[in-house]
Amino acid sequence: MSDSKITRRSAFEGLHPIQVEGAVTVAPTPYATRFSFRGDSKAASACSKGFGVMLPNALLKAESDNGRTAISLGPDEWLLIAPDGEVEALEAAIEKALDKQHHSLVDISHRNTAFTVSGPKAETLLASGCLLDLHVSVFPVGMATRTIYSKADIVLWRTAADTFHVELWRSFVPFVWGLLEEASHEL
Amino acid sequence: MLLIPCPHCGNRPELEFRYAGEAHIARPADPSTTSDQEWAEYLYFRSNPKGLHIERWRHVSGCARFFNCVRDTVSDKILKTYPAGQPKPDLADIVKEAHQ
Amino acid sequence: MRFSFLNLAKQALSAHRHWPEQWRFPEPKAEYDAIIIGAGGHGLGTAYYLAKEHGMRNIAVLEKGWLGGGNTGRNTTIIRSNYLWEESQGLYEHSVKLWETLSSELNYNVMYSPRGVMMLAHTVHDIQVFKRHVHANRLQGIDNEWLTPEEAKEFCPILNISPNMRYPILGAALQRRGGTARHDAVAWGYARAASAMGVDIIQNCEVKGIRRDAQGAVTGVETTKGFIGTKKIGVVAAGHTSVIMSMADVRMPLESYPLQALVSEPVKPIMPCVVMSNTIHAYMSQSDKGELVIGAGTDAYTSYSQTGGLHITTHTLDAICELFPNVRRLRMLRNWGGIVDVTPDRSPILSKTPVKGLYVNCGWGTGGFKATPGSANVFAHTIAKDEPHPINAAFTIDRFKTGRLIDEAAAAAVAH
Repeated sequence: MSDSKITRRSAFEGLHPIQVEGAVTVAPTPYATRFSFRGDSKAASACSKGFGVMLPNALLKAESDNGRTAISLGPDEWLLIAPDGEVEALEAAIEKALDKQHHSLVDISHRNTAFTVSGPKAETLLASGCLLDLHVSVFPVGMATRTIYSKADIVLWRTAADTFHVELWRSFVPFVWGLLEEASHEL
Repeated sequence: MLLIPCPHCGNRPELEFRYAGEAHIARPADPSTTSDQEWAEYLYFRSNPKGLHIERWRHVSGCARFFNCVRDTVSDKILKTYPAGQPKPDLADIVKEAHQ
Repeated sequence: MRFSFLNLAKQALSAHRHWPEQWRFPEPKAEYDAIIIGAGGHGLGTAYYLAKEHGMRNIAVLEKGWLGGGNTGRNTTIIRSNYLWEESQGLYEHSVKLWETLSSELNYNVMYSPRGVMMLAHTVHDIQVFKRHVHANRLQGIDNEWLTPEEAKEFCPILNISPNMRYPILGAALQRRGGTARHDAVAWGYARAASAMGVDIIQNCEVKGIRRDAQGAVTGVETTKGFIGTKKIGVVAAGHTSVIMSMADVRMPLESYPLQALVSEPVKPIMPCVVMSNTIHAYMSQSDKGELVIGAGTDAYTSYSQTGGLHITTHTLDAICELFPNVRRLRMLRNWGGIVDVTPDRSPILSKTPVKGLYVNCGWGTGGFKATPGSANVFAHTIAKDEPHPINAAFTIDRFKTGRLIDEAAAAAVAH
């Protein structure tokens, strides 16, 4: 027992890179701190103070500041993303700001992982499994939503005109990556 | 596939949702004073109409909220969705609105 | 006119231009001794047995569309009796025994083919459940045997038993006496035989109301062809049961869902049996026309549309292509849907009701075809004697109040 060591491993270990010249690149993102926050609008305001980013009231929006992002997934549910290594500090700051107001704050840094899909054919590649209309006129920069890619739940966030950030549970990575890779051959 | 207007997220494909059965069926407040017949009614007996049906859906791969929905079970056309907790709407009004 | 070698030869001499119509198209009488609502296999069969075994020939079967045009014309034709509980085994096995002699009884080839029904196990849970069914069946004298994956492939050579499948096959339960029959033929066979005995089959006649007297007993039905008097009504209306029963103010523990099926282009015989997979959600057999007949689970929401969504079909075909890789090259010819009335315990209701003179046969969900002769037979008894037959005694509406549910969710297979 004294010799055991916990090694952090990337969910993308051993997967083929997905890159189609001039069309699309799919790349894992760095490790991050992540929380699932639930609470009413008063609690959300308090959480904003502790997190350092305004939790958006409007639905399906991503609000970013200083490398941290808050995404509104539902009327009382937010996904909070911050640089790796800030779990303890942020948890303390948010709990302090909430001061015993009713809420739920769960560390999901290791449940989730993420990758980006970027390039002129990013929408086309994602359309291989995502049923939503991804055109920038109805899915603008700054919009984010939980949805499905084939049979896997994802959070899809458009960070730029030709870039999407995809959050998903670690165990779904081989499934989703495999389908994206297959679809990339058709680009 | 149905296109379902979630009250929070807007139109989304059926695969993002889970059907949750007939709506506005209140769980008996005190099971210990509920008769077997009443309990069976609550658990098992349903309207199952050929026509307007008021039902629940849950947007599991979206906002994850439950909501209510009025759908015509012959055409599968959805006439109205409204948040959980709101009262049963007047079906006659809904039909009128739909024809306008 | 009987179908016999002699008649076939005689008719051939005049180029088959003088075969009589197979059933009559009468206008409804003012009154009957019993009325069956629904001219599907179960309804027509009920009328046949009422006439044949109970001497009730002054009866009518009312059908809002064309006979056999509902679920009877849309099912995937599977016959088996490998259910879990003794009550179910009694009912489905009664049916299998009737299937075995149905063609000669009706003088109509229903193409009953006991080619074997194999239920696949893909997980430890599947193995436990299906072995339990095997033991339960054999204790009641019903055939059911456990096969290894290799034995399963020997029985069905196109089956994929590769360990690289997402959910590899770990074994299978085989009922050799299970199989298929021609669904339309059953409706036509019962219709022809019943009509010949004097039963009036009245098509394009929709029931709009049920009339009752001051004591609440049935006195007749309001239809699109007028009022028809009777003291006994048997409701055999499948997905429309709730609609009909509400005309007598009886609420039912039923929900009507779309159930889809599809067929491939016809090919030479490649599929010798029926294969069903609960876990990866698809089942398949091959018709004598050569089409692969494929089915799956219901759509998720209640509907009378007889349609359903294409995503169900696509997911089913994903499973089929995984189970039978050489199907990947085939074109799918036709898909359609029906309306299945599902009960909370996935077992049917064959019962008297709180209304005097009103009897109901429903709740077969996705598995009514296999029970057609057995169900019709005991339901006729229930109507004629005003008492259930021992075989259907447990399948009451009341069981949902008493809690004596007959849970066949696993045996109901893919569609639960």
